[in-house]
Amino acid sequence: MQPCSREMQGMNSLLNPPQISLQDLHNQQPQIQNSQIHHHQHHQVQNSHFDPTSQEDFLEQMFSTIPPPSYSWSDLNPTNLTKTAWELKPRDLSDESVPSNHDNNNVAFQFDDDSTLVSKLQNHQISGSAKSASAAAAAAAALMLQQHLLMSRGVSGTGAGESGLIQMPLSLGSDDVVDGSSSFKSANPGGEGSVQALYNGFAGSIHAPGQTPNQAQHFHHPQGQNYGAPGAVMNQAPASGSAGSAPAQPRQRVRARRGQATDPHSIAERLRRERIAERMKALQELVPNANKTDKASMLDEIIDYVKFLQLQVKVLSMSRLGGAAAVAPLVADMSPEGGGDCIQAGGGNGGSLGGRSSSSNGHQTASSNDSLTVTEHQVAKLMEEDMGSAMQYLQGKGLCLMPISLATAISTVTCHSRNPMIGNINHHSVLQSNGGEGPSSPSMSVLTVQSVTVGNGSGEAPVKDATSVSKP
Amino acid sequence: MTPKGVSLNPNSRKTKFARRFLCALSQMRNPRPVSSSNDEEVRKRSHKIKIAAYLSMARTVGSRRAWSRALLFKLRTRARRHNMMIGRRSLCLKKKRVIKNDPQGELSQTNKLRHLVPGGKTMDMCSLLEETAHFVTCLATQVKVMQTIADHFDK
Repeated sequence: MQPCSREMQGMNSLLNPPQISLQDLHNQQPQIQNSQIHHHQHHQVQNSHFDPTSQEDFLEQMFSTIPPPSYSWSDLNPTNLTKTAWELKPRDLSDESVPSNHDNNNVAFQFDDDSTLVSKLQNHQISGSAKSASAAAAAAAALMLQQHLLMSRGVSGTGAGESGLIQMPLSLGSDDVVDGSSSFKSANPGGEGSVQALYNGFAGSIHAPGQTPNQAQHFHHPQGQNYGAPGAVMNQAPASGSAGSAPAQPRQRVRARRGQATDPHSIAERLRRERIAERMKALQELVPNANKTDKASMLDEIIDYVKFLQLQVKVLSMSRLGGAAAVAPLVADMSPEGGGDCIQAGGGNGGSLGGRSSSSNGHQTASSNDSLTVTEHQVAKLMEEDMGSAMQYLQGKGLCLMPISLATAISTVTCHSRNPMIGNINHHSVLQSNGGEGPSSPSMSVLTVQSVTVGNGSGEAPVKDATSVSKP
Repeated sequence: MTPKGVSLNPNSRKTKFARRFLCALSQMRNPRPVSSSNDEEVRKRSHKIKIAAYLSMARTVGSRRAWSRALLFKLRTRARRHNMMIGRRSLCLKKKRVIKNDPQGELSQTNKLRHLVPGGKTMDMCSLLEETAHFVTCLATQVKVMQTIADHFDK
């Protein structure tokens, strides 16, 4: 695990702001531990600035890991539990070695080149972008950096090393993202491989936000993708760094995987947000003046509409004073008038209908038809005698008496007018309704049946109907 | 005397509501003359009518919806309390009306919605929106039917 520990160290140091000179760090091992402390302190701040600040830290850590210091794993354990993706991604890369043909020659990093490299890195960092926003500058810096690295290695390292270095990125570039990540995971962490992985990941992280036109792009893209994938696998909350890197490039696959791989909280949140959006859309259709732009304004609209409807109910209930008075005497003073205008409005206040409704809910139309005619005749008989008894009978049956015109109006309530069309008014209409309390079966058979006129059989003029109905 | 069929959809919410509401209205027999210029009485009557409208709507919906359940419960407890208080001098009735003031002094939109929709105080955002949608449709039906009835009787 020593390589891993080393890499962990390196990762921790990545978060460090470029306060500590690379030379000092990689020359003196104990200082790395100090830097770790610094890293821990500053890593929170540096999350978004991972890319450029990591360059020098990364490289110096890479170089420092070559001579194997024995650091305990506990030292590497960050004191703060909030491991960022960046923090662990390098560790993942370090855990997984590149499967490609890197040879030990790659390990032969020349420390004398380190200073030059670091200086160049610093220059690039300064000139480059600190954030993923300025992708071009970062890309250019990365490209230059890579070239410098290659050149430096070519100068000091062996040719094999150089070729190996070049080959590895190429092979990585050709790899599929999935394969790359899996290979990352499956490979055994070797010292050289880890270093190479670090380098590749590092270069990829440099280049994460940007795009380069040439092959470096191929190299960097899979690197960045693979870089991101292990981080996602590590179940880290997608920090700003990773999130920043994702949208800038066409990484659909990685994004999906990241979305799946992240902790269930984000998935649940996304589901919840989607559900809320669905319901908001449904509400938009209900509420007029659907202002589709903003959720907040939509909520305001909904609230206003609900208040408006409640106000309308209140106003109507005040204007209904005449209506209530009209209904009551209408029901009471039925007798001499052509009660044929009226449909019995029935059904008590629901409470008494509970039992009855359950029994009659089964057969809606057939039985109601039969019972309706029977009821009608009975009601007609009762009405001849006494209105009150008829009303009581009807109420017992769960019937409702209302004017035909009203029934017509209600049935066509969307286009109701102040003069509801009065059809054939010579007839009774009996409205039978069988309870509605059943929650499972909202079955209520309301049928209007024309019955023989009661009372005077003469046809009644609409005017008469109107006057009789509206009599207060 | 040709029979003319006025067809009302028996399963329609508005029909059920109309039925219940009209019955409630008819049961609201006012022995006193209608033209009572007393403001208090007018207010009381209109309040009763409004309660009857909401009650009949909630009964029509039944127990399927959270808002109807909450509304029915609220009306029942209020009626029960009212009946119990009628015997005694309703002292506690006024005290219960104290509304907890929002400490911030401004209700957020979600809170406003919760106050408007019955039973919305204990719902999460998702079901709150769902209940609001259903509540809005029922309110709209209620308003339409009441408007029809009012128009009819005011003719």
